[in-house]
Amino acid sequence: MPNASEYDYKKLGLKCGIEIHQQLDTQTKLFCACNNTLRGQNPPDYTLIRTFRPVLGEEGSFDPAMLVEFKKNNLVLYEGFTDCTCTYDIDETPPFPCNTEAIDIALEIGLLLNVSLVDELHVCRKNYVDGSVPAGFQRTAIVGINGDIPISEHKNIGIELLCLEEDSCRRSGEKENMIQFRLDRLGIPLVEVTTAPDINEPEEARLAALRIGILLRSTGKVKKILGAIRQDLNVSIKGGARIEIKGVQKLDWIPILIRNEVTRQLALLDIRNEMLKRKLTPTSFTDNPLDITEIFQETKCKFVRNGVKKGKLVWGWRVPNMHALWGEEIQEGRRFGTEIASKMGSITGLKGLIHSDEVLSKYQFSESEILDIKKSLKCDEKDLFVLILGKPDRLFQAFEIVRDRLIKALEGVPEETRKALEDGNTEFLRELHGAKRLYPDTDSREIPISSEKLKQIQANLPRYPWEVMKEFEKRYKIPHESLEQLTLDGNLQLLEEILKVYSGKPTIIVSTLLETIKTLRRDGKEVENLKDSHFVRIFELLEKKLIAKEAIEEILAYLCDQPQSTIKDAMQTMDITSMSIEELRKIVQSLMPSFVSLIRERQMGAMGPIMGEVMKEVRGKIDGKIVSQVVKSEMTNLLKKEEE
Amino acid sequence: MPSNLPKGYKHISKKFFKEHDIEAWDKVEIKKGNSIFQGIILPRNQFAEDGYIEIKLKNGYNIGIKVQDLDTVRVVGKNPPMKVEFKGVSVPKDRAKPNVTLLGTGGTIASRLDYVTGGVIPAFQPHELYAAVPELADICNLDTKIVFKIFSEDMEPKNWLRLAKEVASLSNKEIDGVVIGHGTDTIGYSTAALSFLVKNLKIPVVFVGSQRSSDRPSSDAAMNLIHATQLAANGDIAEVVLCMLGSSSHTFGYIHRGTRVRKMHSSARDAFKTIGDIPLGKIDHGEITWFKNNLVRKSEVNSDVDTVCSTKIESKCALVHIYPGMSAEIIDFYIDKGYKGMVFAGTGLGHAPNHTFKAIDRATSEDVTVVMALQTLWGFTGMDVYSNGRKLKDLGVIPADMIPETAFAKLCWILGECESKDEIRTLMITNIAGEILPREEIRGYRILQGRTE
Repeated sequence: MPNASEYDYKKLGLKCGIEIHQQLDTQTKLFCACNNTLRGQNPPDYTLIRTFRPVLGEEGSFDPAMLVEFKKNNLVLYEGFTDCTCTYDIDETPPFPCNTEAIDIALEIGLLLNVSLVDELHVCRKNYVDGSVPAGFQRTAIVGINGDIPISEHKNIGIELLCLEEDSCRRSGEKENMIQFRLDRLGIPLVEVTTAPDINEPEEARLAALRIGILLRSTGKVKKILGAIRQDLNVSIKGGARIEIKGVQKLDWIPILIRNEVTRQLALLDIRNEMLKRKLTPTSFTDNPLDITEIFQETKCKFVRNGVKKGKLVWGWRVPNMHALWGEEIQEGRRFGTEIASKMGSITGLKGLIHSDEVLSKYQFSESEILDIKKSLKCDEKDLFVLILGKPDRLFQAFEIVRDRLIKALEGVPEETRKALEDGNTEFLRELHGAKRLYPDTDSREIPISSEKLKQIQANLPRYPWEVMKEFEKRYKIPHESLEQLTLDGNLQLLEEILKVYSGKPTIIVSTLLETIKTLRRDGKEVENLKDSHFVRIFELLEKKLIAKEAIEEILAYLCDQPQSTIKDAMQTMDITSMSIEELRKIVQSLMPSFVSLIRERQMGAMGPIMGEVMKEVRGKIDGKIVSQVVKSEMTNLLKKEEE
Repeated sequence: MPSNLPKGYKHISKKFFKEHDIEAWDKVEIKKGNSIFQGIILPRNQFAEDGYIEIKLKNGYNIGIKVQDLDTVRVVGKNPPMKVEFKGVSVPKDRAKPNVTLLGTGGTIASRLDYVTGGVIPAFQPHELYAAVPELADICNLDTKIVFKIFSEDMEPKNWLRLAKEVASLSNKEIDGVVIGHGTDTIGYSTAALSFLVKNLKIPVVFVGSQRSSDRPSSDAAMNLIHATQLAANGDIAEVVLCMLGSSSHTFGYIHRGTRVRKMHSSARDAFKTIGDIPLGKIDHGEITWFKNNLVRKSEVNSDVDTVCSTKIESKCALVHIYPGMSAEIIDFYIDKGYKGMVFAGTGLGHAPNHTFKAIDRATSEDVTVVMALQTLWGFTGMDVYSNGRKLKDLGVIPADMIPETAFAKLCWILGECESKDEIRTLMITNIAGEILPREEIRGYRILQGRTE
């Protein structure tokens, strides 16, 4: 396996593009009047079962990726909710007119990304037969093409495409032959931003994703919740192929995934070279697999024995001249054999692929069984054998997939869509979808974009977040990282709003927006219930000294629990009122007698316990600093008196 | 001057194409501002706004660009028109399998959008259907015949008669069943009409359609066709029925009697409901379960008696919805235009406004048959309950305990068959094909409105 730390990406010809999907924070969904909300893990109100069939493309041919999905032969179970899914979502009603709020946000994003906007949106259907959309297609429209975005002082990358589309379902489980999806996420408007393959370093890709994320979030019109933004990667190197990596959940994964993909492509190219050296050609793999179930009647290998008992067969296949190649590592801890087995498994659902480059003793096959396999398949030491356990109809398909994958290995890297794994590797997800899966949506009309509308959006366009951040960094001395996080959280505009009403230290705002929210979330509070107006109002009260900064967390916690309440309610319920220094002093003085002995003993060291006791009484009503000053002065007075 | 102007465009766009010598399907490069769009010129929906051109980009997406705003355009390549072709699959006949004939009426079972005509290209020949729905070859030997190509909404009584003749002749041949593909808009009228027009039917006649177009992966077309074909091939019934999905799930199909079925939703998969009763049965993975036992069984019909078809149908019949404030002129209009019969979809138990009585009286006196069905759909007429009903009956209005569409189809059939007033009345109130329920079971009217109680 090549060594990743030594890669010269320029020399390798690394080309990388990213696709960012960001949900929009609209009132309703894109093509219906359902609420734009998610229902978490709540039990569904209804379920239904559907099947899907590939349909012919416009020119009468099937999209190969759809055929592969169809071969999986799956049923799909949908879990729905009455308040946020309707008959449109389950493909029982044609689409309603496209959400104009979403179109406006997409246009605003288009202008920010500097794309050439189209004059007329044409809704297209992007076909999927994996069940992720009940209709079998996602409605999507190009908003603009050919934009760009600066990712650093020195580099701009191209924006190839900006689309407005509906989100798909959330996958919620899988049983045998049945995939489960939740319908709540379906139909939420999202923008898909596709960059040009202008990225040439793994770290640059992370930066680009961050920049685009910051830009989208800075509009304040996109969803902030976890999972509202998702990235896909497109990676290729010279001589390799375009690989789409889906399900990249964290920005930090991006460089790791790219590095590992480069490793994989280089390893596959090495394998190809070795195969060519061994004079292998597509016709080398024309042997038919043989049924060798007979050998395993009494085997010690448990899963094979159990399978055979249940009527499954073991088919064996000789792969000539391939010895040792399936054992080659192509990513850390992932061999070429695993690569083939996982593709076969993902399409057929079969799990048991065994090959002779594995340590066969782990399966507890006996020496004589291994000899028998080799004998029946006529394998010599240069050959490799493959065993697959399963029902006959699936076995035939399984070996076709293995054969096909080997033929593709002769060309190096096959184009495909892969899924990001937690360990930084990837596995086969599906064939790369082509342009053939796009089909004009016959249910909806073209949507002209009026120039008046564009002018209006242009006139209200927000400043670029990096400009705002630069200014805030300078003017308010807010650290860059905090600003970046605030922007990613979608709170840059909120910060700006608060700064208009609050003249105190900006660090309090920053810590409220970053730390306090985090603490509340950790404590299990529904922070989604907090509105921007809540924060602005709290800082107004703080400015007028009607509350102390210690009260912020309590008020927010209350609003999380009681989203229908006002800040006034919160203050009344929790008895939060501002307190004068005189009132405070009275309280401190009334408490002092009980601490006399402690003060005598520890002198100023008694400060801590006394503060604790006083704060119990006054928390949220007056600034802690003032409390500390008053306590200190009262203690000093008392000690002075004692001395006297 | 280009010879092949892109279709569907209006004045401004057409002028633009002529000026730039652009033909349909040309690959063009368009400069607009800083951007270059490259794509193929597509035909346009003829109802869309003027002044735009539509192109398909390389990535498969379509977009529209305003002619007025673009800087330059040049043709960079020529393309042949996009053509849709089905690659067929031929399947040899298997003597062991039942023989089913599929009649086409214009509905599409497998189809693709056709850019050239703006319509859809249906797959209909057996080899095309086997390619689109390979499961069919396992069920039966399929023959296909296109009877006519008419959109469901354009269907007329004379088309019902044409279809009925086809069915009657098939019923007398050595085949096991007939499937009729039909657009869903008026499929319920056709199932009712054929139930009356064809007498002594010997085989299952299964109407089928699809609610979600067959060009989508989630279409119900294939599953409905498979169910209908299984029913036609193996069902022990000799009636006209409709078989479509029984729920929103792609699991089982319900079998509805042709005279009681009604489309109750504009687009849902399970739009078709039996009104006033439960469905006749269901079909699930090829297995047929009958819920009702008052069926005409295929195994019990006398195969020596020929199936016959009516020779005439009266198309001068009207279906009139009764509503508050309706004018009696509407009734006069039909009389003046020489209509032979009228079906009212009456309010409540079978009522019409008092001020229409004079016109109704004129109709019956001038030998126009007036039938009273119910806009409530469920329930029976009760024209002796209130004086309004009694009066209407006295004027000669015939109560019809069936859904209005079935009453309409039945009247078209009756008026084609006979002229005598008494005969007409007798036939109308006699149950011929399950259209009149002898009794209403409680479960026949179970509209749960999303509740379980």
